[in-house]
Amino acid sequence: MPTVKFFATLRQVAGAREVQMEAGTVKELLDRLSAEYEGRMDRYLKISTVLVNGKNVVHMKGKRTKLKKDDEVSIFPPLGGG
Amino acid sequence: MSSKYGGYTGKFLDIDLSTGEVRDYDISDQLREDYLGSKGLATRILYDTVPKGADPLGPDNVLIVNTGPLVGSGAPCTSRFNVSTKSPLTGGVLSSNCGGNFGLNLKKAGLDGILLRGKAERPTWISIEDGEVELKDASELWGLDTEQTQEKLPKGTGKIVIGPGGENAVRYACIISQERAAGRGGAGAVMGSKNVKAVTAKGKAKVPVAKPEKFKADVKKWIHILQTHPATGEMMPSFGTAVFVNPCNETNTLPTHNFKRGKFADADAVSGETLADTLLTRNFGCTSCVIKCGRRVMVEGKDVKGPEYETLGLLGPNLENADLAKICEWNYKADLMGVDTISLGNTLGFAMELTEKGMLDSPLAFGKTEGVSQMIEDIAYRRGLGDDLAEGVKRMSEKYGGKDFAMHAKGMEFASYEPRGAVGHGLGYAVSNRGGCHIGGGYMIYLEAIGPLVMDPLTTRAKPQLTALMQILLDALSDAGSCQFTAFTAVPKQALALQPSGFLYRILAKSLEFFGPAVSLMLRYPQALAIVPPMELLQHPKAISDLTGMKLTFGKYIMAGQRTYLIERMFNLREGITGAQDTLPRRSLEELQTSDPRSRVPLSKMLPGYYRVRGLDRCGEPTRETLDRLGVRA
Repeated sequence: MPTVKFFATLRQVAGAREVQMEAGTVKELLDRLSAEYEGRMDRYLKISTVLVNGKNVVHMKGKRTKLKKDDEVSIFPPLGGG
Repeated sequence: MSSKYGGYTGKFLDIDLSTGEVRDYDISDQLREDYLGSKGLATRILYDTVPKGADPLGPDNVLIVNTGPLVGSGAPCTSRFNVSTKSPLTGGVLSSNCGGNFGLNLKKAGLDGILLRGKAERPTWISIEDGEVELKDASELWGLDTEQTQEKLPKGTGKIVIGPGGENAVRYACIISQERAAGRGGAGAVMGSKNVKAVTAKGKAKVPVAKPEKFKADVKKWIHILQTHPATGEMMPSFGTAVFVNPCNETNTLPTHNFKRGKFADADAVSGETLADTLLTRNFGCTSCVIKCGRRVMVEGKDVKGPEYETLGLLGPNLENADLAKICEWNYKADLMGVDTISLGNTLGFAMELTEKGMLDSPLAFGKTEGVSQMIEDIAYRRGLGDDLAEGVKRMSEKYGGKDFAMHAKGMEFASYEPRGAVGHGLGYAVSNRGGCHIGGGYMIYLEAIGPLVMDPLTTRAKPQLTALMQILLDALSDAGSCQFTAFTAVPKQALALQPSGFLYRILAKSLEFFGPAVSLMLRYPQALAIVPPMELLQHPKAISDLTGMKLTFGKYIMAGQRTYLIERMFNLREGITGAQDTLPRRSLEELQTSDPRSRVPLSKMLPGYYRVRGLDRCGEPTRETLDRLGVRA
């Protein structure tokens, strides 16, 4: 099943660097994460960037992007840096 | 000479270190309107005062330390100062922007800036108090590190100092204020070449405000915007710039093994998240900062400044090093020695690759931490091989070979973003006037890989135009005296409610690829943008307008940024740095980063469009029409 990697505040909410979670699409995965963490992650999930195997889903099919069992999904909230 | 505008003290001093003479340097209000202050104004002065061909480390070079109008005004994140000089690293124009406490105190001392020329006979400390300058003997400070030097200087003053790196003319020596660095390009070496160990400033002057009530309301609103935006109100305070390590790694833009790759298997070990979980003691900010991106960590039982993202990337993955404690130790040592950690990480990485390829006999090796700490000292004191590394990557490649993988542009080493993972960012490195710099290059990485609204990182569509626009906005922001991190609110928090993986966001991200013509039009006719944007949309022009009394429309704000780039360009051209140097090493241009055939920087495809939107000719020189249109006197 896909591996979900959490970054920044999402990692703190999840209490883990990564988890494995069954999901067929990005939308399904986000819904499952919301349920799994009982809404505590919702605030961040709504504004977070989602990558599948390093590629931003904005340039794929957005939330409809399909997931395969070996996929790596990275999620991080809006950041500043430099 | 005073100024009719608020935000300025109206006083700028010209200090001749050879004679000890101190004069007023006259700046007209027209120049203030044209360049605002800080980087832009300093570059204009640099162009007017440094003779062609001057030795960067000789008495003919000048060192300008100045501020923008927002500094000392009470606006958030504006305890900044700028240093400008001819760079000993690139031989071209250099500006470096820094936090700390000096900018604020210089303004309190009643000065917008100082210009240092000539060379003092003996080690000197320049004391400025309420506008009065005294050149003091610094023989007892010479040889001390940056921390010891600041401890010996009077309490209650703003300070800039150099360490052994600056004293020994390391080409990437920096200037330190508190624990912040005007890092890039070797301004510390220029200060050292003038025998100046430190400058202190204090005073009781207050910055005049043209429209006090309106400005007060602007500041209140601005602080609220910064504190409630997810990037500046939550992520930056929680994780600092270090939070970029993992996203860069995920998007193939984290320099690894001297920029050979964009991904490091152990990146998480040196990430902001790991730093927060392990060595972090607390966060901190410069005076007047509401973001507080600074980190404090424990090094050998001492609470010191932690590493920024750039340092983590270049002393970590770029050296195949996953030891976070070592990075913190090296970062602290580099600050004490007064050398730029960005150029340092690059130079070490280059030396490691030379060694790996049998082109250099050295104890340095990727993944090996032994000997690095000693090498940092050897660089600062120019001992043994350290003497070569103190010259930077470009000069090392001229001596030892390896130009194909000498990761610099115009002699300045790359910042911590692998450009083959974000080609617009690569274009920025190539066309930045100060060299391979992320800020001077427009920070396209934010629009291509790691910001909240990103376009395809490998497409060339609209990249020339957006790179120019981003550079201009960042230049204007610097000119005003603001921290670059206040730009993170440019994507309003309301826009984030569209959801980055949602349909509307996808349309918006895709549409960026078609912004090229609109940006070209905007930059060709900026005066048509005759409104001052509301604070909610863009904070700087409105705040500067109410502070200074200038009516700073968005168009005029953009024009200040455009002029800044042009005058920098003119300086470089006079020094023989032409469009031929708007290039990147072969590794970036030809070696594929991944199996994707687009994963290299197609510079030749982007450069003509960039020159066009900037009003440069095919050789990268400003046309007469462009200079006249923007009122830049050559």
